[in-house]
Amino acid sequence: MEKKEQKRHQHKHSGPKADKKNRKKEQGTEPERDERKRNPRAFSVQSAVRMAKTFHRTQDIKTKKHHIPLVDRTPLEPPPVVVVVMGPPKVGKSTLIRCLIKNYTRQKLSDICGPVTIVSGKKRRLTFIECNNDINSMIDLAKVADLVLMLIDASFGFEMETFEFLNICQVHGFPRVMGVLTHLDTFKNNKTLSKTKKRLKHRFWTEVYQGAKLFYLSGMVYGEYQTQEVKNLGRFISVMKFRPLVWRTSHPYVVADRMEDLTDPEDIRLNPKCDRTVSLYGYLRGTFLKNKCQVHIPGVGDFSVADVSFLPDPCPLPEVIKKRALNVKERLLYAPMAGVGGLVYDKDAVYIDMPSGHGSQQQEVRPTTELVQSLIGTQATLDAKMAASKVTCLMFSVLIVRKQNPMESREWDERAQRERRRAVFADEDDDDDDDDDGDGEQESDEEEDEEEDDEEDEDEEGVTTLKKHDKTAAETAAPPVKKQKCEVPMEMPAFADSDDELEKSEEDESEEDESEEEEENEENEEMEEGEPAKKSSGPDSGLCSEDDDEDEEEDSDTDEDGDGTVKSKMSSKHPEEENIDTDDAEMEVQNGHNLEDLAQKATEAYLRHQLAAPNLRKLVYGTVAEKEEDDSNDEEELGGLFKVNRPEKSKKVRADAMDCSRFQPDNSHDWDQEEVRSSIRDCFVTGKWEEDKDAATLLKEDEELYGDFEDLETGQVHKAKTGNKDQAEEAPQVKLDDDEVQKNKRLEKKRRLKERFDAQYDDGDATYFDDLKEEMQKQAELNRQEFEDVDDEIRVQYEGFRPGMYVRVEIPALPCEFVTNFDPHYPIILGGLGPSEGNVGYLQMRLKKHRWHNRILKTRDPLILSLGWRRFQTIPLYYIEDHNGRHRLLKYTPEHMHCGATIWGPITPQGTGFLAVQTVGGIKASFRIAATGVVLDLDKSVTIVKKLKLIGYPYKIFKNTSFIQGMFNTVLEVAKFEGASIRTVSGIKGQIKKALRTPPGAFRATFEDRLLMSDIVFLRSWYPASVPQLYNPVTSLLMPVGQKETWAGMRTLGQLKHDLGIRNKPNQDSLYKPVVRQVRHFNPLHIPKELQKALPFKNKPKQMQAKGKTPRDLQRPAVVREPHEKKVAALLDALSSVYAYKNKKARAEQHAKHKEFLKQKEKQEAERQKRMKEERKKTYRAMGQKEKKKLKSSLKGASKDN
Amino acid sequence: MEFEGCNCFRQRLVLSTLSGKRVKIRNIRSKDDNPGLRDFEASFIRLLDKVTNGTRIEINQTGTVLFYQPGLLYGGSVEHECNVQRSIGYYLEALLMLAPFMKTPLRAVLKGVTNDPTDPSVDLLKVTAIPLMKKFGIDGDGLEIKVLKRGMAPAGGGEVLFTCPVRRSMKPVHLTEPGKIKRIRGTAFSVRVSPQMANRIVDSARSILNKFIPDIYIYTDHMKGASSGKSPGFGLTLVAETVNGTFLGAEVVSTPQGQGDPVLPEDLGRNCAKLLLEEVYRGGCVDSTNQSLSLLYMTLGQQDVSKTLLGPLSPYTVEFLRHIRDFFQIMFKIEQQKPGEDEQKGGEKVLMTCVGAGYSNINKTIK
Repeated sequence: MEKKEQKRHQHKHSGPKADKKNRKKEQGTEPERDERKRNPRAFSVQSAVRMAKTFHRTQDIKTKKHHIPLVDRTPLEPPPVVVVVMGPPKVGKSTLIRCLIKNYTRQKLSDICGPVTIVSGKKRRLTFIECNNDINSMIDLAKVADLVLMLIDASFGFEMETFEFLNICQVHGFPRVMGVLTHLDTFKNNKTLSKTKKRLKHRFWTEVYQGAKLFYLSGMVYGEYQTQEVKNLGRFISVMKFRPLVWRTSHPYVVADRMEDLTDPEDIRLNPKCDRTVSLYGYLRGTFLKNKCQVHIPGVGDFSVADVSFLPDPCPLPEVIKKRALNVKERLLYAPMAGVGGLVYDKDAVYIDMPSGHGSQQQEVRPTTELVQSLIGTQATLDAKMAASKVTCLMFSVLIVRKQNPMESREWDERAQRERRRAVFADEDDDDDDDDDGDGEQESDEEEDEEEDDEEDEDEEGVTTLKKHDKTAAETAAPPVKKQKCEVPMEMPAFADSDDELEKSEEDESEEDESEEEEENEENEEMEEGEPAKKSSGPDSGLCSEDDDEDEEEDSDTDEDGDGTVKSKMSSKHPEEENIDTDDAEMEVQNGHNLEDLAQKATEAYLRHQLAAPNLRKLVYGTVAEKEEDDSNDEEELGGLFKVNRPEKSKKVRADAMDCSRFQPDNSHDWDQEEVRSSIRDCFVTGKWEEDKDAATLLKEDEELYGDFEDLETGQVHKAKTGNKDQAEEAPQVKLDDDEVQKNKRLEKKRRLKERFDAQYDDGDATYFDDLKEEMQKQAELNRQEFEDVDDEIRVQYEGFRPGMYVRVEIPALPCEFVTNFDPHYPIILGGLGPSEGNVGYLQMRLKKHRWHNRILKTRDPLILSLGWRRFQTIPLYYIEDHNGRHRLLKYTPEHMHCGATIWGPITPQGTGFLAVQTVGGIKASFRIAATGVVLDLDKSVTIVKKLKLIGYPYKIFKNTSFIQGMFNTVLEVAKFEGASIRTVSGIKGQIKKALRTPPGAFRATFEDRLLMSDIVFLRSWYPASVPQLYNPVTSLLMPVGQKETWAGMRTLGQLKHDLGIRNKPNQDSLYKPVVRQVRHFNPLHIPKELQKALPFKNKPKQMQAKGKTPRDLQRPAVVREPHEKKVAALLDALSSVYAYKNKKARAEQHAKHKEFLKQKEKQEAERQKRMKEERKKTYRAMGQKEKKKLKSSLKGASKDN
Repeated sequence: MEFEGCNCFRQRLVLSTLSGKRVKIRNIRSKDDNPGLRDFEASFIRLLDKVTNGTRIEINQTGTVLFYQPGLLYGGSVEHECNVQRSIGYYLEALLMLAPFMKTPLRAVLKGVTNDPTDPSVDLLKVTAIPLMKKFGIDGDGLEIKVLKRGMAPAGGGEVLFTCPVRRSMKPVHLTEPGKIKRIRGTAFSVRVSPQMANRIVDSARSILNKFIPDIYIYTDHMKGASSGKSPGFGLTLVAETVNGTFLGAEVVSTPQGQGDPVLPEDLGRNCAKLLLEEVYRGGCVDSTNQSLSLLYMTLGQQDVSKTLLGPLSPYTVEFLRHIRDFFQIMFKIEQQKPGEDEQKGGEKVLMTCVGAGYSNINKTIK
């Protein structure tokens, strides 16, 4: 490489700096500076400006470190950390997972198949997932990974997959990345090893961040990594902290670790390709998951969830933390897809499949499709299985309420040749009977159960109220789709009209334990409570006005129905409960009495809820179902022909009622009366204040705090009230109050004092940032506390399922390929979608072609995007924003610049990153990630335009006006463009004036100059481009096993042409031809004679004629020498050349001599220098010795002096 | 989602627009002599169409079935001629719910009836809804309701300007302490009647309220000429402000010309004062007209716990809660708070608690 000459520094010749320099030069020495400058003090302010600058800079640096504080929404019991082990094939991923699992749990897992969840510590669980070399899995796993272990084969170096994966991670929020170098034992030479390590480390750092952790696994011992190294890695993993990522904290997601097909086998038999109902299991992560929400399964598509329920944790954290390390029992392992730790359902029991803790009993390698096979292999019918699953759910849900400790009973399974630990629960015997309890689990089930209960009730009792009619009608109207689900062997009537369906679930749970008497007591209590509530709502019935109305309606209706029994409000509510009592009684007889304390607890809980959530919630949420069914009830057919169209009943009126938000007051309050008026007396500042806010008390407290003070104006001295006076006043009160009240008061006072102190001393430097942080903290605290003591069943309804729960998500209508082509090596992710994220629209995004991708992207070529949870193929249009805000279409993406892109795709919140690949099938490009970017805007319309030039030709030219044709076809078109500016190619601007009648499309236009007939006129305009509406989700999971990475969507035009062998026939004009240039012939310039005459000589054309032949008389004759002359000339020639030779020789000699002389001189000089140096050295040494002597002597003298 | 009947028409469309779920409403007044959508509902749909982009609306021949596929909220400058069957409040209430979630700040000019007895009037919303919105973090100078012209029922002719800035997300709120009322303000207005009417209203209202608190000021607002609309009428809006910034409002308007018995201004003033007392009796941190608005904003907040103390739930609010559950799967924790033994602070209160849906304004552009 040749080195380029660098430009030299140019000294300034003018300006303040040059002036300053000049002045300095002129004066020679610097002017006398004042003392402050000459002798600065260390820490004083030299310059206010600089001081300000440094201060600003430090502040800038300080504030740059701040992150926007976020509310801490991590759940108390977080879900397992997802550890994705990634790397190219044959790099040692499975070995590493195996080693880590062995390190944590002392168990051996031979086949890593699907996610493996383990308990790694007292507060942490890990889920290991192996990422195979498919870009689909890489994309999916990058979206859910908390920690990525990036395996790198050191003997080979980095591979493209590693960089691709890093780029994927970057786009979807960067999870923690830890590099692990393997195959280090292949280096024999220590030096090359350390060099390679260093090189790889630095490259890794530039990709991730400076100082990113890189682990070295030096070598294998018996097919495993070295224990100590694995242990170190494990320690690093288990103490790692994670940042919350925006997308994940705002979307719920489940990494499914278990899949079950719930479809009716009969349906499958009839139509093997029928849509499947599938339930997926996994830990919920991210944020709250609402029931019946929409989810996206990457690789499959969008689905709405039929049902979500939470299950007991299959891999729970140890309950009590007191020991230092976990014992073997607590080191759980759960990997159902690998066939370990999975629950296997039997008719009435649950087997937890688990190898024993010792490595001696190794599990055999199982086929990957084991789960599916086991599913196929099971003999039980689906219904039975369903029932069984219910049972188990129930068992667990019961367990949640109590302690979560199943008893263990070991069994030797001969088939599997290993010990199995059957989980036996304390009340397992009972659960055949009260299957119904399962309805506590899900809302929908609950409703249906309830409905059925009602039906039964009716059948049995014949007691009907209108409400019931309504309800049953609803059931008949309801689609019987999910009936199958609730076919439980025996049904137990629930509290059909208990105060709250939510509470009911709890009751159901607890009722099996409750004894009869207590039940009755409860009913009584409930009644007693119900009554006063009703009464209290009498005067201010605003609160429950609707309810009352309803009740009244019911009452009247029941009267009309002629049941004969005019029931009071209470009685209309209670027959069912009584029924329940009797039923319960039966149950209790069956169950036997037990566990008094439990019952006690249940009663307490029940009462608490009774108090906390009375009728109102039922009023709001419980009665919704009743409203729609009136129709079917009303329209009884008369004689099979006519429908009775009754005058509209109250309910019907309500459906078409006036839509008005105003809350009309009832007239029960007469505000003219004094007592009514006094009921709101305290709402005003003039009324009575609370104890702690009353001005008098506050004043008094102040006095207590500050004691006596002197009023300076009056000179009066106020003494603090002495204790005895105070006591004397309060003495009777104190006696009444307990010690506790006193204590509380004291505490309160202390708190207030502390607050005041804090306000005085701490808040001085509290910044906005601190305030914000504190606010967030408070919010987080509140979020945690608000629903803490609520039962999970109810809590789930308020909050949704919270992250950390183990959930079962049922999804109907999945394509059958999902089940038939199921491969546990591919991750299944359920990504929850926010409101309106399931819709499709136009997305505007900022996009940049990846620098490493080796070709630019073409507009309208299909591209596969990974955006949000999704991977889909779409057709982008690239554009760039002009200075006036116009979005101009681009044919290709710019090389190294951002451009805009508009696609038709799923609505995703702005700010979400995305990446694009051209194909997911195979590896064609050297670097597969084609582009990255971010969503900017969502819209339902597009604003991209492309340039359109309309061309016309003048056919008649007047002065500045021309008639133009060929630009438009009709008069109407011209009319639309009247007044538009046009231009000729030569640059003459003009304007369209008016259409001409003939020929159609011609118009009159004026220009700023006269046109030529050869001019071309054009009109620049913009034509809106339309975005093709292609949204094609990548369905890679539906591909057959082994071909999952071969998904191919729409082909690009180029590919199509290539595949079909179509070649474009190019425009003849566009072809390149050899350039043939004709020699140009210029005519001579002709200047008229007259003009020539007038011109000055300088400008006159010079007639330069070619020189003719010299005439004979002018030609000079050649000289012919005489022989003598010739001789003389020859001699002179010889002499001169001899002289020249002599001269030359002499000079060369001289030169050589001089060279010698110079050499000599140099030598002498060197000698002289050497001598001088030695001399100098000598002198200095002498001087130094002298100096030393002097110093010594002076010291001596000094010591002598002393 | 499918619904029946024209009840809660606005709620359904507004929630559908916010949640992006399409809605089909059937049997709209199908049994009525005059079936189908009314003019004011059609006008409302048109207004929604104006503030959104890409909305699809299909109505059948008789107007008994409506299919609504929401587009994206666009905002910008909108002018709408509201039908005079309902007052501008009917339209404005829905706009209040939608306005913070637009792409560009909304600037709506609504023309029609400003005050009528059925709907909450523009004045009431101005004094109660705007301070409430501020608590949710929608503030800045852009937030404003301005009565340009006053138009009474039945002929209308009023004009209202509503501007609102856009927000990315709502702040969670904790409005559990309403505080004590420190002042009462109000506006007595009269158009196309004697200006004396307003003064008479003020006197009568003061006579009642003075027994509670001395800090009362009621403005009189007499509009003349072009800004007085097409029909005569008068009315009073009262608002009580507490020390914690809660605004409780009440209003009464004279009966429209040619409908029902005329009312005396004195009676009207007294009635309005009593209504305010009733409102105070109900209490809470949000007054009864804005309950649904506050609940909606709570629902659309970040995923944090929000709390609001309300007075008794109005039937409209109860319906709204059900719809929120249908559209957003959000249930509120409803706790009743009974008044204490010796404190005299009106009736029962309801503490509403919910965890926000984590909603963010997907319409707003980022640059």
